[in-house]
Amino acid sequence: MRPLGLRNIFRYLAVFVVAVSLNFMLPRLMPGNPLALLAGVDVGLMTPAERAEVIEAVGLDAPLIQQFIDYWWSVLRLDLGFSFRSERQISEMIMERLPWTLLITVGSLAVSAVVGIVLGGFSAWRRGKKSDLSLLTGMISLQSLPSFWLGMLLISVFSVQLGWFPSFGAVTPASDFEGWGHIGDIAKHAILPIVTLTVLSIPGVYLTMRYAMLEVLGSDFIRTARAKGASEARVLFGHVARNAIAPVVTFLAIRFAFAFGGSVIIETVFSYPGLGRLIFEAVSGRDYPVMQATFLVFTVAVLVANLVADLLYPILDPRMRVR
Amino acid sequence: MKKRLSIPILIACLTLVAAACSSESDPTTTTVTGGDPTTTLAGDPTTTTAATPAEPVVVRAAITGDEDTINPYTYISGFPGWNLLMMQYDTLMQLDADGVPQPWLADTISANGDLTEYTLTIVDNASWHDGTPLTVDDVKFSLDYFIEKATGRFSRDLRGVVAIAVSGDNGIVISLAAPNPAFDLVALADIPIIPRHIWEGIDDPGERAFDISTNVGSGPFMMTEYESDQFYRFVSNPDYFRGVPAVDELVVIVFADDAGALAAIRSGEVDVSFERVSPEQIALLDAQDPLDISQGPEFTTQMINFDASKAPFSDVVVRQAMSLAIDSQDIVDTVYLGAATVGSPGWVHPGKPAYNPAVEATFDPAAANALLEGAGYIDTDGDGIREFGGEPMSFDMITNSSDSLRLRIAELTAAMLGDVGIEITVVSVETATWEEAVWPGFDINNGRNYDIAVWGWSAPVQANTIRIADLVNSDPGIGFLNLTGFSNAEVDAISSQLLTEADPATSQQLIGDLQVLLADQVPFVLLAYPDGAYVYNSEVYADWEFIAGQGIVSKVSLLPASARP
Amino acid sequence: MKLLNRKRTKKRSPKVANRLGMLGGGMVLFLVVMAIGAPWFAPYDPTERVGLPFQPPSAAHLLGTNDVGQDLLSELIYGARVSLTVGIVAALVALVLGTSVGVLAGYYPKRLGRFLMQGVDVILILPFLPLLIILAAYLGRSLLNTIVVIGVLIWAGPSRIIRSQVLSLRSREYVLASRTMGAPDRWAIMRHVLPRTALLATGTFVRAVSTAILLEAALSFLGLGDPLQKSWGSILFWAQSRGAFLTPAWKWWVLPPGIMIMVASLGFALVAFAMEERINPRL
Repeated sequence: MRPLGLRNIFRYLAVFVVAVSLNFMLPRLMPGNPLALLAGVDVGLMTPAERAEVIEAVGLDAPLIQQFIDYWWSVLRLDLGFSFRSERQISEMIMERLPWTLLITVGSLAVSAVVGIVLGGFSAWRRGKKSDLSLLTGMISLQSLPSFWLGMLLISVFSVQLGWFPSFGAVTPASDFEGWGHIGDIAKHAILPIVTLTVLSIPGVYLTMRYAMLEVLGSDFIRTARAKGASEARVLFGHVARNAIAPVVTFLAIRFAFAFGGSVIIETVFSYPGLGRLIFEAVSGRDYPVMQATFLVFTVAVLVANLVADLLYPILDPRMRVR
Repeated sequence: MKKRLSIPILIACLTLVAAACSSESDPTTTTVTGGDPTTTLAGDPTTTTAATPAEPVVVRAAITGDEDTINPYTYISGFPGWNLLMMQYDTLMQLDADGVPQPWLADTISANGDLTEYTLTIVDNASWHDGTPLTVDDVKFSLDYFIEKATGRFSRDLRGVVAIAVSGDNGIVISLAAPNPAFDLVALADIPIIPRHIWEGIDDPGERAFDISTNVGSGPFMMTEYESDQFYRFVSNPDYFRGVPAVDELVVIVFADDAGALAAIRSGEVDVSFERVSPEQIALLDAQDPLDISQGPEFTTQMINFDASKAPFSDVVVRQAMSLAIDSQDIVDTVYLGAATVGSPGWVHPGKPAYNPAVEATFDPAAANALLEGAGYIDTDGDGIREFGGEPMSFDMITNSSDSLRLRIAELTAAMLGDVGIEITVVSVETATWEEAVWPGFDINNGRNYDIAVWGWSAPVQANTIRIADLVNSDPGIGFLNLTGFSNAEVDAISSQLLTEADPATSQQLIGDLQVLLADQVPFVLLAYPDGAYVYNSEVYADWEFIAGQGIVSKVSLLPASARP
Repeated sequence: MKLLNRKRTKKRSPKVANRLGMLGGGMVLFLVVMAIGAPWFAPYDPTERVGLPFQPPSAAHLLGTNDVGQDLLSELIYGARVSLTVGIVAALVALVLGTSVGVLAGYYPKRLGRFLMQGVDVILILPFLPLLIILAAYLGRSLLNTIVVIGVLIWAGPSRIIRSQVLSLRSREYVLASRTMGAPDRWAIMRHVLPRTALLATGTFVRAVSTAILLEAALSFLGLGDPLQKSWGSILFWAQSRGAFLTPAWKWWVLPPGIMIMVASLGFALVAFAMEERINPRL
């Protein structure tokens, strides 16, 4: 494994500092203000003095630079603060949502990684043949499905028409399931979102795998290996797949990191209580602390995924050496 | 021949994956509909309305958007948040089906001649959920608390209160600085009474993180469970002072949007929607058994606002021409498919006693053109757009993209105004951006950043006719909702006088005159009052009460007939 | 017979790819013609209310009418304009940005590469949604801005993948050889790196077109686009917001735009597939 040099550490730190600072600026750059959220819908009924009091109570009257310093101080102390809207600990709110988001995204990612790599490899191997073409066509068609369209159609068919799966939520509200019943309940709620997400992410894995494989298949050393008389299977698994896996891993690592941003559309369609909805509601209502906190989690996740991909790259692709 | 791997096979693979997942689930709960053990009551509908211990009546209701912990300082929306708040708390008076306040926690209410002093007696059989009796001390404490710790709505309700005094065992006297003929409607039927023994230790309700344990009310329901963004569970209060509720358990489920709620009610996963059914769904849902629709007039409004403080909208002729050019009936028919009342140019809903029938909406594009021509707004360069002061009459009409009906209203109105030579570009933006443009900082002293906007007020603004001054008075202290920057001396005089007029006959006369004046001066163009329509499963619970202007979401709907006001 | 024989002996047939490419080209051409000729093909002006709202298909309105009585078929035909423009132009923006940055960063992995990738990292890390709202709020809502926003948002991912590829190419024998022989970097990039990256870039472009078309639809769905712009995405937005998904209207209101989106994406993909065959026949 390539040691993580000082330079790289500095690089990651720089990205972290810039991104986290931008996360502070983004909410404040947005038009509109969090007053409606702080004061409730009756904000219009308040006197200017009452409004000023509300703004002061959360420190939004302080100079921007002061707020910025406070923000960094709380980031460094890992203190995510309280939501404007619910006045709850944000860390608590995120921990409530994260498992649900991870359940559906990791579930779908696992399925699509296996299916996508296998089919992508198969497709590249059978390049130009009918099976490759059908797969490619099918995958690109799948990729062209609008996610909410697919989700709504699945709800129409499997929930409304057939009644097989629930159409919303992560668990049956106010139910008294215990043990296996509870797990079954969760599984039933997760299936449609996972299916939707899987259908949507298989083509990405598949195409990345296929293209990477094709590239490797065409390179000199493969032809050398073939010329040396290595068996097709040996070429395929010993050389090609091993060398093609790097872009796929990068792709999967980033997709996994993006799970920490939730999947707004799918969570909206299925009323699924994940991080994506938390972020979307925070953004719509200008809940600055929640926006900052969720962005921070997202930022850290993506950075870590990049770091992992960077560290893994030389191991996965033996040809590559960055001095 | 090569084996052909195609899309159907792929889909079959996915189905297998799905099937593999589902096999993990408990085999006894294969379907969702009816799988919930708490809802095994799809039997005889007559037994469901009369609560029996053997078969508890459980109603599952859909809302869109979380309402936080629903106490007076945390609930989020005016509708249905306030309505859910009132499941747990009581007001001194309660609206009946006609929208008229009736005695509730206060069993007698009287006012002095000039309406500056209200004397109430509090019922003696009400108690808090923790068993403590509800007394007149709690009432005084609540009013004092809301005056002291700003909440927006309830503090505003109590502005003008100068003294609150307990008299005797269960009497209370509220004194006002000026006559307020609508005090019963806006304050007594609006403010929740909170328990002193819970709240007196709380100095800063805005800072405090509330939870279920602090939600001690006196209402017919108690919140026992809350999962953020998922659901609320309310159970009935068997000791409720008006009688045992007809529904034993109310589960309120949070959806991300209307479509999700709609799918759930069609699949039988919820029993009622606390969100209004959109017009195109009314007939469809009504046709499906066992779903039924409860429909009636409501007091929300849809309107066109313009910045009347600047040219050309400062010219009354332009405003009158715009009003004449807009066909409100077409909007009601096309956008609402008839499920709305055409807007009255005098603001007051035609269903209200204060409505002046002499005022009605007129659609006459020819007259609009003539007005504009006459006032010198003429298309000099022949491009179909009139000019004023050398500038073309081209404006942006801003609307919030999350409200699809409003978007369509904008689209239709833009075309109508285009027909009289005013070019409109519809600009759809996100809700917070739209609010910030029309109502910067929610304070009209900050001015306005728009030309034309589609806007709407929630029901409470229309509910109290006397407070029309809020919308049209040019003094920002009085007309704090005057978003159009409208200003007219005569309107100012009448609307101010109305606020304190104690004599009902004079008051009625003033409101009538004001409507005529507003129809002529056009402070905004009122397009429609959309109907409220709610869908429910009549096999689970059918006794929903539609309160005029408020809809079915209230505790009244969940009480037996004998306990209703 | 001759054709069949050749096919068998050559093991892989460029003819198949060509034929698929022709098919894809036909699909794209069909859509382009539809977009350009929309005023002639469409029976009505899609912005005019020409019928009653929520009408099922009839002789006058082959796909029925939408929620305010606009002709759905006309909307569908005009929709090709917006969806294709947004898809192609935004993907081009992303392609140019992503490939240049990816190749430069991959070929010069030291200082320049680090700097560029740092920028890419920041962009990938920035939360998508508020960025979009801010951009939309400051730029205003127009077709051009939708394109810019989508293009700017989707180039960063592809640039990383291309960089990985270039990084790997860079250490191969032929590149190393040309470098040791003293050939300028420009030559090595043009001669060795770009052709080998073009394949990946083409794949990325294909994905970018469909991503852009889908993003446009998704933005509309979340209420962040311009729903009054007649695109396939906005037709779906209206179908969704007026409940057509749950009524019989889904057959004429929901399916057609979804199918059009798939056709568009598939057409481009097939063309790209044929192009790829030509660009790099050795593969």
